[in-house]
Amino acid sequence: MHLLHSYVATIDKLNYRFGRLAMYLLLVMLAILFWSSVSKVFFRPSLWTLELAQFVMVGYYMIGGPYSIQMGSNVRMDLLYGRRSDYEKACIDAVTVICLFVFLCFLLYGGINSLTYSLKFSERSYSAWQPYMWPVKMVMVLGIVLMLLQSVAEFFRDIIKIKSLKNDSSNYVGDA
Amino acid sequence: MSYEAIAILMFSSMMLLLMTGQRVFAAIGFVAVISAFFLYGTGGSELGFSASMKLMKWYPLLTLPMFVFMGYVMSESRIADDLYRMFHVWMGQINGGLAIGTIALMVLISAMNGLSVAGMAIGATIALPELLKRNYDKIMITGVIQAGSSLGILVPPSVVLVLYAMIARQPVGQLWLAGVFPGLMMAFLFIVYVAVRCRLQPHLGPALKDKELNIPMKEKMRLLRAGLLPVFIFITMMVPFVNGWTSLVESSALGAVSAFVVACLRGRMTREVFENSMRKTLGISCMFMWIILAALAFGAVFDGLGAGRALEDLFVGQLGLNPWVIIILMQLSFLLMGTFLDDTAMLVIVAPLYVPLVKALGFDLVWYGVLYTITCQIAYMTPPFGYNLFLMKAMAPPNISIIDIYRSVIPFVFVMVLALVMVMLFPEIALWLPDYVYNK
Repeated sequence: MHLLHSYVATIDKLNYRFGRLAMYLLLVMLAILFWSSVSKVFFRPSLWTLELAQFVMVGYYMIGGPYSIQMGSNVRMDLLYGRRSDYEKACIDAVTVICLFVFLCFLLYGGINSLTYSLKFSERSYSAWQPYMWPVKMVMVLGIVLMLLQSVAEFFRDIIKIKSLKNDSSNYVGDA
Repeated sequence: MSYEAIAILMFSSMMLLLMTGQRVFAAIGFVAVISAFFLYGTGGSELGFSASMKLMKWYPLLTLPMFVFMGYVMSESRIADDLYRMFHVWMGQINGGLAIGTIALMVLISAMNGLSVAGMAIGATIALPELLKRNYDKIMITGVIQAGSSLGILVPPSVVLVLYAMIARQPVGQLWLAGVFPGLMMAFLFIVYVAVRCRLQPHLGPALKDKELNIPMKEKMRLLRAGLLPVFIFITMMVPFVNGWTSLVESSALGAVSAFVVACLRGRMTREVFENSMRKTLGISCMFMWIILAALAFGAVFDGLGAGRALEDLFVGQLGLNPWVIIILMQLSFLLMGTFLDDTAMLVIVAPLYVPLVKALGFDLVWYGVLYTITCQIAYMTPPFGYNLFLMKAMAPPNISIIDIYRSVIPFVFVMVLALVMVMLFPEIALWLPDYVYNK
């Protein structure tokens, strides 16, 4: 139990740091796109801006994803779920979190394959700028790994909640 | 397995998982990767990741965080306060004038951001308390604010149309222009409704007393200047875009920068406002991005396995329905789903199902984009589950109950359905402007 607590705390802290970092990438995107429009109107249009902005965006939502889970920003269908008690919610989540986990595992599998391919053949993007593809894929894989760590943390958090709520009220009836 | 069986299996398992209340993107993504793994054959297990590459390469998506940020800068920094005061002073003397002014305010706010959240926040925090103080009927004004703020997704810039553009592979510029007149028409219909209603029942929206309006002309003119703010932001965004100086994505960044600069100049960009708008933008953007990522994977598998074709066969081939009957049935089913499904999820689930069908029927996809958005607007505010309804409850003062909110939307939903029917009957309402601009 202690182990679960410290895992959750560590991952929360780690992903909070990464998430805060990702949050400021928005300003980087803004700056790139702003420069892009200025250079287009007044100087020679830059080749690299749009693609670089796309790469930054990938970092933004991939690395920021776990933080958004922490903040509870991800929508759920609360038709039935919303009426459950906290205890029941934790129980349901502890089971269905497997969906999140499996989805992310497949993403990770595809991501690692794609990354090794890029590294092996020094894949470049099909554009005038022709950047290497591996850095952005590396960021994506990192983001997916962080998401996986966070989804495990969410699972443990539910387990902890189930245990503590059960102890709080041993004659718990289930409806609130 | 037959195509029909795959379609039914994938769709029903997704619905079932969504009902458990797991995060929407996880449920959709799970069904996508599992069916790809078992049914797709070679390369099936990499389908999830290739969806995320597709997401990255689809560049109009960059506008999403920009517009979300812009919306939050405006609502958090409250730079639109003066705008409300302007309408207050200039429209106060007629019955229901403040409610009409609120609708006009919502149109201006819609022209500055692409979601309904900002309009809702501004309406509920600034306009609503003022209107209640002036003895306006609480049910009517809650409806006004909800209906008005929903214009945010129809009047350009619109995030919903960006999402639609991605799925339907249509140019965003034309879709946005197509949203202009339907949006204005809908606002006009709202105004007509409010004006007529207040004319018949003056107690719903009493005119302001002269004393309150007796402010010097100079002050009145100063407030009128507040109206320049949205015009400024709209122009910095739309003029370079429509003239082809900047791309769509660059324009969205220009809009975000100009909103930010205005907030700074007005001295409203405090540390707290900055922190809140940055954090909320990340939350909302991540939510959208992950759902779109999952929905892209789902769509790829669904189409790849021929399930999309099965749907088309069923309607066009086997049932042999008239195209118009099909399109009406589609909107009806969309509305029905909108009443009990989560709206964001519906947005990305429904489009990949319907768009190929609309295309096969030979309808204009830009026109359908407008129908789709209006239907989304209605879905957003139909009880018992509507994004706008819950936002409203969260933001409104406590004496407005959820029942009040449910009741408040009824007349406006009728007005919106009327607008939907009009755009269906007269496609020119939507298509005239994009045709005019792009076929000069």
